[in-house]
Amino acid sequence: MIELKDVRKAFNQGQHNEYWALSGITLAIEARRVTALRGPSGSGKTTLLTLIGCLARPTSGRISLHNRDISGLPERFLTGIRRKTFGFVFQQFNLIKGLSAIDNVMLPAYPTGRPHRELVAHAETLLERLRLGHRRDARAEWLSGGEQQRVAIARALINDPEVLIADEPTANLDTTLAKQFMAILESFGEEGRTVILTSHDPLVVESTAVHRVIDMRDGLLVEQ
Amino acid sequence: MIFQPAIIALLLASAVSVTLLAAAAPFAVQVIRHWDIASGSERQLQLERRTYLFSTLAVFVMATQLLSLLLFVFNADKMSVMFVGAMCAVGTLNVDPFGFPALIAQMTVFFLAAAWLAVNHVDTRAPDYPLVRIKYTALLALLPALAAVLWLQLQYFLNLRADVITSCCGSLFSEDTKGLTGDMAALAPVPAMIGFYASLAIAFATAAFHAQAKRGGISGYAVAATGIVALIAGLAGIISFVSLYIYEHPHHHCPFCILKPEYDWRGYALYLPLFAATACAIGAGAVQPFRSIDSLRAQIPQVSARLAAVAAAGFLLFALVATVFVARSHLVLIE
Repeated sequence: MIELKDVRKAFNQGQHNEYWALSGITLAIEARRVTALRGPSGSGKTTLLTLIGCLARPTSGRISLHNRDISGLPERFLTGIRRKTFGFVFQQFNLIKGLSAIDNVMLPAYPTGRPHRELVAHAETLLERLRLGHRRDARAEWLSGGEQQRVAIARALINDPEVLIADEPTANLDTTLAKQFMAILESFGEEGRTVILTSHDPLVVESTAVHRVIDMRDGLLVEQ
Repeated sequence: MIFQPAIIALLLASAVSVTLLAAAAPFAVQVIRHWDIASGSERQLQLERRTYLFSTLAVFVMATQLLSLLLFVFNADKMSVMFVGAMCAVGTLNVDPFGFPALIAQMTVFFLAAAWLAVNHVDTRAPDYPLVRIKYTALLALLPALAAVLWLQLQYFLNLRADVITSCCGSLFSEDTKGLTGDMAALAPVPAMIGFYASLAIAFATAAFHAQAKRGGISGYAVAATGIVALIAGLAGIISFVSLYIYEHPHHHCPFCILKPEYDWRGYALYLPLFAATACAIGAGAVQPFRSIDSLRAQIPQVSARLAAVAAAGFLLFALVATVFVARSHLVLIE
């Protein structure tokens, strides 16, 4: 489904502080599976995730989605792909303070022009599914860490993306909340959604919900 | 003489345009030589990223050229009060030998820029940059044209002398003058009107058909061809009879005096739709050679249909405005 061919990524290229975060990744990620990228800090997990999710472009190499190159697409096409194909759950959740939980969930769907009533119903369904129905009108800053994470997951799902991308989803959660997240992840696996996440939390990478673990170190795949 | 706001603006616009295109030229050469969409090399990805910057610069340059023509004509008319014997822009343009060549060069670049903008527009609608090489080759070809415009404008503006007695429009656009302008002025009103309205009707009908049919190919080329013919016929019509009705004078054929405030700037109401329509018609034709490219198969009919619709509206508006000027005139030219 997603294929990477010799993908490399440099930051501050040509400057004294040039840094190669990825040094040549060739990888195929299967559809309808939960894939985890595991590695220490600085191994390039998050960089790889941002490239797969079209949030950044590689310095060299190609990334394709369903055999269609997405790494070289003009920006106007990338916007649509980001919106429809990928749902993002960020490490810090990145909810908009001052907005209610349901408004945060609906936000990525506004550019699609879907009818507001339909959008509200969908957002409510997602919040109910994640056991947050009672917090729909609570502002983002009033939510606990676990609630914020679940709102972030609902927001990532509002456009019904094919692929859910989560960067260190349990980094800010205690064990109980991390286990709750794994239960949610398991349900995604069961319904056949493609999930790609980064983690070095054993609770995540050793979970039965994760179908494949890819180890990374120093910008390379360990198996390479 | 050169320190006139409009002259400074024109020279600045031309100089900036040439500088930007010259700065983009090495990149254009790189694109032409090394572009390979199938490659994931660092150079290819760099070229892809930089095309955004350089395409934006090129769009800015081309859009500047569209506005420069308007400013050039406006300035030529406005400066006529500074020269002995000049009644309108014709006098200003005749002060030195570079005036009319500068105007013609600016008009040529105006239409070339319109064609380039149309090609660039369709290219940005495809996910695989199908016209990138063609676009940048055209950009390199346009660089000498823009440099020529800058050189002609510099020669023209630097050689303007207030003590030169210049010839007015009466000598250039008169039935007795030898040459193209004299021939157009000498055209009999009825055949001129028939040619004028027939050309505009054909251009309008072709563009309207193309806009409606939303198909590429011959009708797209026909829009461009009939548009150019309509431009020539339109200008000839203005010289041969429309201007006479505006001035209400049977021998005043000048196509520039109609731009003056004494005639309520009616020339702008004629030229703006005519030139805009022709530019769109040329744009509709310019994109046709690429209609068989897979990623543009759906885009080109849509884009060229929209351009043709604007062209049809422009030609119609031009014909209506000219007809209103003729109908409201007190001059009786045809018994």
